Amino acid sequence: MVKVTYVAADGTETIVDADEGSTVMQTALDNSVDGIVGECGGAMMCATCHCYVDDAWSDKTGPRQDGEDDMLECAADAVKPSSRLSCQIKLTDALDGLVVHLPQDQV
Amino acid sequence: MPLAPVNTDVGMNQLTRDPYPIYRRMRRDTPVVRVEGVKRTFLTKAAHTKRVKDTPELFSSNDPNTPMQPAFRAHTLMRKDGDEHRRERMAMQMAYTPKVIKANWAQIYRDITDEYLSRLKKGDTVDLFREICGPVSARILVHILGLDGATDEQMMRWSQELIDGAGNFGWDPELFRITERANDEMDAHFGSLIDHHKANPNASALSLMVNAENPIPDSQIYANMKIAIGGGINEPRDAMATIIYGLLTSPEQLEEVRRQEAWGMAFEEGVRWVAPIQASSRLVLEDTEIGGFDIPKGDTVMTIQASANRDEDLFEDGENFVVFRDKNPHQAFGSGPHHCAGAHIARRTVGEIMIPALFDRFPNMRLPDPDAVRWRGFGFRGPVNLPVSLN
Repeated sequence: MVKVTYVAADGTETIVDADEGSTVMQTALDNSVDGIVGECGGAMMCATCHCYVDDAWSDKTGPRQDGEDDMLECAADAVKPSSRLSCQIKLTDALDGLVVHLPQDQV
Repeated sequence: MPLAPVNTDVGMNQLTRDPYPIYRRMRRDTPVVRVEGVKRTFLTKAAHTKRVKDTPELFSSNDPNTPMQPAFRAHTLMRKDGDEHRRERMAMQMAYTPKVIKANWAQIYRDITDEYLSRLKKGDTVDLFREICGPVSARILVHILGLDGATDEQMMRWSQELIDGAGNFGWDPELFRITERANDEMDAHFGSLIDHHKANPNASALSLMVNAENPIPDSQIYANMKIAIGGGINEPRDAMATIIYGLLTSPEQLEEVRRQEAWGMAFEEGVRWVAPIQASSRLVLEDTEIGGFDIPKGDTVMTIQASANRDEDLFEDGENFVVFRDKNPHQAFGSGPHHCAGAHIARRTVGEIMIPALFDRFPNMRLPDPDAVRWRGFGFRGPVNLPVSLN
């Protein structure tokens, strides 16, 4: 199990136990975390699973995937250096305790 | 495992008239079923439709031998998989982003909507489907795509003829003669605009594609434009008409939507309730199973998102238009790599601009006879008329 904390735009925190191998997006959907839509199911085609990786974790989540930059341009909210598509962050042991911040809007 | 049961009762006519009672029965009794009359295996449960769309390695879009090829004069990205699909799609995707809409288009869309609404007078009874839903969608698309000079009538006709051609599974030569003419007109119009867009780069899809550093081939630029015309008019038109119908037949919900300015939720519910694109097909690449039935390689499955959107597993009271739902995980925009490229545009134009502007200008608008509204369509569905009294 990997612990993930989702911080909504209004500051509300949701902490869930995720399965290793799942993604930050899928874990949010499986646990009914508001603020992640993930409409394309992880195909990197909709930019509705946008999140900001907490500064303390950006080294561990690594760089954006090939093509992720382009799709992030389609995000509804502001894109920052910490922006990621949460469908592209795969959960491993090393990410136990991960904190991601959610944007105001996904669509 | 057994093969899926076969349904020999249901045909295109019934599905075109009113598919929803049929889908409800299928979800209950035969969620995976071979429909002889359509020569496809129908998938009517949300989990199955989503899995198929999310697994392109097994359920391919790549099928060059559909009527889409002659209808569009191209093997289009709709019928491709993998990198080739992504490259062609991303070549135009940047024209459809929320940022581009906000920065370049939102005010133009408001002005267009206001201009068309200002032609209507309080006290009149008009067919909003014909006067507003279609023409405003067409006019907005001219701007998004950079098709300066195309008339509303041309845009709506091209869109319909492309769709009719793509659905010409009977290979009727007369229908292809009509799409040939539309293709001649479109190709000539695109060609006449390329120098203009090269000299005046702008945020439209055509400009973006012809000015790209590493452009896709002209043939695919044209194909992309046709996909956008085919998918960018009827769908927002049908979504808009459906949402207006839903709100006008449920005044308490309309009142609450107004109070909360919950137009976005009304939009989502409209496209869930009657998805403008109801079904899609995928080619099965390997022997597999769905819902306890063997699905052989070479079969074509149809994901019925219209039915997935009313699946009792996900939606309470799914047969009805209910704006204020806790969750609305509909599949109206599909899922997987072919998730609708125009989803952001649709939400912003129809949901944030067109519908609120209409109810703002005619706050006491009424639908005097809901039974006079006729609904049609199997692959694509919506009202075909919407006679309202403006006030």
